[in-house]
Amino acid sequence: MKQQRFAGAAVVIAGVVLALTCVPTPTQARDSYQRISGEGSSWAANAIDAMRVNVRQFGMTVDYNPSGSSAGRKNYLNGTVDFAASDIPFQFQPEDGSAPENPAPGTYAYIPVVAGGTAFMYNLKINGKRVTNLRLSGQNVARIFTGELTVWNDPALVADNPGLVLPARTIVPVVRSDGSGSSAQFTKWMISQYPQIWNTFCDKSGRAPACGFTSFYPTLPGMIAQGGDLGIAGYVSQGFAEGAIGYVNYSYALGSQFPVAKVLNNAGFYTEPTPQNVAVSLLKAQINTNEADPTVYLTQNLDGVYSDTDPRSYQLSSYSYFILPTVVGGQFNAEKGKTLAAFAYYAMCQAQQQSASLGYSPMPINLVQASFDQIRKIPGAVVQDIDISTCKNPTFAADGSNLLADTAPQPKSCDKQAQVSQCPDGTGGMSNVQTAVKSGGDPAAPTATVQPPTASTAPPAGGGGATGGGATGGGAIGGGGTGGGATGGGATGATLPGAVTDSTIAAGDPTLPGDTVPVVPGLGEPGDISVDGCDPDAGCGAQAGVAQVEVGAITTTTLKAEPGSLPLILLNIVLVLGLIVGPPLAWKHFSRKSPA
Amino acid sequence: MAVLDDTREMDPVTTVPALPEADTPAPKPRDVSTRRGLGDRIFRGGASLSGVLVLSVMVAVGLFLSIEATQALRSTGVSFFTTSEWQPDRNKFGIAAVLLGTVVIAFVAVAIALPISIGTALFITEVAPTWLRSTLVALVDLMAAVPSVVYGLWGLFLLQGQLVGVSRWINAWLGWIPIFNVAGADPHSPLSSASVYTASAFIAGVVVAMMVMPIQCVVMREVFSQVPLGEREGAYALGSTRWGMIRVVALPFGRGGMIGGTMLGLGRALGETIAVLLIISPRFDINLHILEAGANSVSSLIALRYSEASGFGLSALMAAGLALFAVTLVVNFTASWFVARSRSGASSEA
Amino acid sequence: MTALMDDLATSTATPPAGTAMPFVTTSPLTTLPDRRDAAGVPQHRRVVGHISRHDVMVIVGALISAVATTMLVFGRFTPLDGQPGFTVVAFVLFLAIYAVLVSLTESLPAVVDRVMTALLATAAIVALAALFSVVVFVLWRGREALSKPNFYLEDLSVTGPLDPLEVGGILHAIVGTLVMTTIALIITVPLGLACAVYLTEAKGRGANLVRTVVTAMTALPSILAGLFIFATWILILGNQRSGLAASIAISIMMLPIIIRSADVVLRLVPGNLREASAALGAPQWRTVWHVVLPTARTGLTTSVILGVARGVGETAPVLLTAGFTATMNANPTKNPMVSLPLAAYELVRSPQPELIARGFGAAAVLMILVLALFTVARIFGGRPAGRLSKRQAKRAAARSTADLARFTSRQEGVS
Repeated sequence: MKQQRFAGAAVVIAGVVLALTCVPTPTQARDSYQRISGEGSSWAANAIDAMRVNVRQFGMTVDYNPSGSSAGRKNYLNGTVDFAASDIPFQFQPEDGSAPENPAPGTYAYIPVVAGGTAFMYNLKINGKRVTNLRLSGQNVARIFTGELTVWNDPALVADNPGLVLPARTIVPVVRSDGSGSSAQFTKWMISQYPQIWNTFCDKSGRAPACGFTSFYPTLPGMIAQGGDLGIAGYVSQGFAEGAIGYVNYSYALGSQFPVAKVLNNAGFYTEPTPQNVAVSLLKAQINTNEADPTVYLTQNLDGVYSDTDPRSYQLSSYSYFILPTVVGGQFNAEKGKTLAAFAYYAMCQAQQQSASLGYSPMPINLVQASFDQIRKIPGAVVQDIDISTCKNPTFAADGSNLLADTAPQPKSCDKQAQVSQCPDGTGGMSNVQTAVKSGGDPAAPTATVQPPTASTAPPAGGGGATGGGATGGGAIGGGGTGGGATGGGATGATLPGAVTDSTIAAGDPTLPGDTVPVVPGLGEPGDISVDGCDPDAGCGAQAGVAQVEVGAITTTTLKAEPGSLPLILLNIVLVLGLIVGPPLAWKHFSRKSPA
Repeated sequence: MAVLDDTREMDPVTTVPALPEADTPAPKPRDVSTRRGLGDRIFRGGASLSGVLVLSVMVAVGLFLSIEATQALRSTGVSFFTTSEWQPDRNKFGIAAVLLGTVVIAFVAVAIALPISIGTALFITEVAPTWLRSTLVALVDLMAAVPSVVYGLWGLFLLQGQLVGVSRWINAWLGWIPIFNVAGADPHSPLSSASVYTASAFIAGVVVAMMVMPIQCVVMREVFSQVPLGEREGAYALGSTRWGMIRVVALPFGRGGMIGGTMLGLGRALGETIAVLLIISPRFDINLHILEAGANSVSSLIALRYSEASGFGLSALMAAGLALFAVTLVVNFTASWFVARSRSGASSEA
Repeated sequence: MTALMDDLATSTATPPAGTAMPFVTTSPLTTLPDRRDAAGVPQHRRVVGHISRHDVMVIVGALISAVATTMLVFGRFTPLDGQPGFTVVAFVLFLAIYAVLVSLTESLPAVVDRVMTALLATAAIVALAALFSVVVFVLWRGREALSKPNFYLEDLSVTGPLDPLEVGGILHAIVGTLVMTTIALIITVPLGLACAVYLTEAKGRGANLVRTVVTAMTALPSILAGLFIFATWILILGNQRSGLAASIAISIMMLPIIIRSADVVLRLVPGNLREASAALGAPQWRTVWHVVLPTARTGLTTSVILGVARGVGETAPVLLTAGFTATMNANPTKNPMVSLPLAAYELVRSPQPELIARGFGAAAVLMILVLALFTVARIFGGRPAGRLSKRQAKRAAARSTADLARFTSRQEGVS
């Protein structure tokens, strides 16, 4: 009997397997598209994921594994995936000492598929309120990610943020632990702009002499390394990660509803990598048009972006690429090519409509047209389907210019460098949350004329109030101003429809009878982390911060007792001894004696 | 296989009877035929084929890893064991930091798991009422069955937040002990970032401890349950309390099993991948400050780098993996040696 | 885990001799020898230490007092903070107060005994609390995903990064896990059991070699099994990452586990059963097929299930070999396929709350699956070899009665 049972079980198992393997997947049955798989950039993953989802309606099944640009290129070369997504092209002569990648010439083509900005997402609170309007100069960005700046109230950062009372919290740079195109783009920018800072860091990290731009970010103790943009965004958004700052694509900051730092550009404005700003910046990107050399055709040279002087530009803007096969081989066949071409066409056209809402910037028409030629090289591509006239890309204007760049708003004047204060408006995923700023300028500045921007709208639309708001923005919601000013600021904020304004004042104490406000308020006020009182030579480090800690920020119990509590402690001890331990012991003592 | 000729060691299929009749002429041994039927030959052939297959698969894994690893090992030589960086393509790589990191995490795990597992094992065998015993046994076994990724999630999302405070406290009060020192952290300042205590070997170790604890506990419980009744009763008869009995009888009796179980847990802790990968922030310097952010382990290094490694990089990863395998192998065999050698474990299989 | 299975195996090792063949006859044809020892008393462990009402009062009193005192003093002059700190302070105070209370009535050794007992109980409570916390936390974080039916019925192929939990699910991962596990079972069960039979039936140097190698392979870190398949199957042989590759990697992990525990179980089959079969003239294969395997069936099932439980939860080898997809794929031979642990791992790394919830949901489903498997293993493994369930016993009795009737009728026919 028993062997029959065994046999029966075997039959059942075999049946299950057969049933499972024979079930046709819906896509196979519905259309002639073959399933394709890709791997690579996590920087572009949000956009590619959206494309993957949308092409399902046409019966295409695309698998995408956002394991990093390096892994994508590597697995493309290994032939285990059909296409790769990478932020940087193949590295024939890597500058960081990693092994060169040598794809067979003429077997692949690049197409730029998403444009976006590498944003600096941070987790920082003042008085328990999340800061949403941090500004950083490029040099400070480089110094933060090379471990030169270690506390948030460093004078260099204070200079960037005159309207914020930055806490004496440790800066924790969060970088990529895996091979990543965004690390490569970021280090390339740093090398081009701040070679000194980078080289010092490279020496210190033991990476020298291979100090070229690298996909593998070197780390120093005190830095946190996480896998993928997902990992960085995930770490920075944790509650315990206060003080952390990491580089991710702008879309991740939107997704995790965290702010990003505005970075100073060459025009002297602090800008955010909104899709419009990225579109403006990338007008200056030099795209290689040497069609004769497929190893570089359509690749980007971003030097122009770094040196762009448009006030709206964001220096860390870049394109991310698909790497498409142009010959059949390995797992890749013409049927897959047909699917891949259709997918790439969709990616260049219709998918771009979604880009802006995700935080990416759509492709301009010249790149789309050039990409079409590349897509046509994919074996099995249905060439007649690849047609610019049916391409529903939102950036196309009749005259061929980039609509998005044309309509990009100018930055507000409060975003300008060397102002006495800064814009209170939130950034990134917290664009609807304002952060109160110190009024820096003239206390008599009429706060009533301020027109705060419509903060409830999506980040791309930041510019509605740009024209008027800037002029007096410094005093907008100035907490440290006169008592009247403070309440006024609060009231203004409250009237904003849907805006979560922060009417509690960071720097000042409204109850203080401070009619005249010092130029730098907060100095010496109780409960303030006074960065200004901090001698840069003596170090405004963590130790210095202890004495100036303001009471509200103490979340953990102080390690030493408050001065007035000594009697209380003694009372406690007496109570414990007298009421809990004492009586039983005494009782035992006496009861033992009494019989004797 | 030559093995099959050796049939006389089989469980006795036919036994030769002892011949008591001494007066008969010198007995000629009966010709015991061991000719097997066709069915048996097929059966034994099939069985040994499966044995050979399994052997060859296992040997293939080991051999392949070794052969692939030699390429990397040959290019670095001894410095493979002394270099802490990991840049294979610049021929600057070694396992000093990663292997040490693995060992540190495993030791933290065992240090935390050991008291809990000994306590739980003793509680189950000595203290718990009979009705509770089988439930507890089942629950501990259940703990061993929970997948490691689940522990990883739990550690990352729940434990890390809780343990940051504990780390800060340890750093504040025991920071003078070198391993509890944290560079760049001031535990007395409420504003120092909690991040410096995250993603550390300590936190990874605590999570791994939860995984190895049941494994250790199972072995120890088995050993403690074999304490001879006579010795137990003897201790009681001499007026011992329960703890006295445990101290004098159970613990010495179970020492081998306790060591074996501990090492078995250590072996598991060394090889853990996903939970560690989820928690740590990889770093490539020799770091013994267990509370400090950043740690590394061989298996998480492999998981992190396998897909972007060049051919040579893959060979280097395999060399690292092989070194880890060698360590776990030694640990596991030591564990079974201890258990088999101990009084209690002679009959059990750990 | 291996030790766990050994343990289960030993629990199946004590078959009460004779119960395997319950002949129903009027007078006993075979009598059981008296196996009781000379004293005639079966050995049982005495239960020492019972808890009186006084003990309970002391414990409860000490506990309340400790918590109350902690609330009084905590945060004032204790150096700890937060919930863990409170617990630690309360526990230390509890021990102290408990010791004082016990010392009122007991001598020093008894105090030490009680305090140590309290410590042992604490260790057990900590272990159980950890298990409880893991299970509850994962279920809690995944509750929003778990409560949606679409979570079990859809894949993530049309679910974008920002979609709510009402869209998409982890069906693809569930199917992936089932497919991978099934293939791994098809590979490991015949091979593993045959190898275990080989180890027990063909003793000698060869078997010892195989046994040593298998024991060694239980120490193989799971990531290396994945790396091996990645380097050979995918890179050298040029296959795609697929469910099949992952299944093979899992099989390499599971095989030593199954072989080792099955070996232990088979070795525990009483030798007299084998000898009885051989004495009846059965060839070896018949002995194995009809006596050894059925006797050890429950133990073998347990070892297979425990191997499966381990294989189902493995993430590292799957991470290296299966690729990643959000779309259903039931074909293991091509295209990527995800399993539940891999899906959980990939999903929770996202910063988006919905994806994290889905990741926890996947982890919860995985955990429930493994716990269910494990419970099944306990139910099977709880019964020693040869002891029958009620239905089996009834069937065996019926067979015996039929045999008896047949024998008697034949005897009558002869006489």
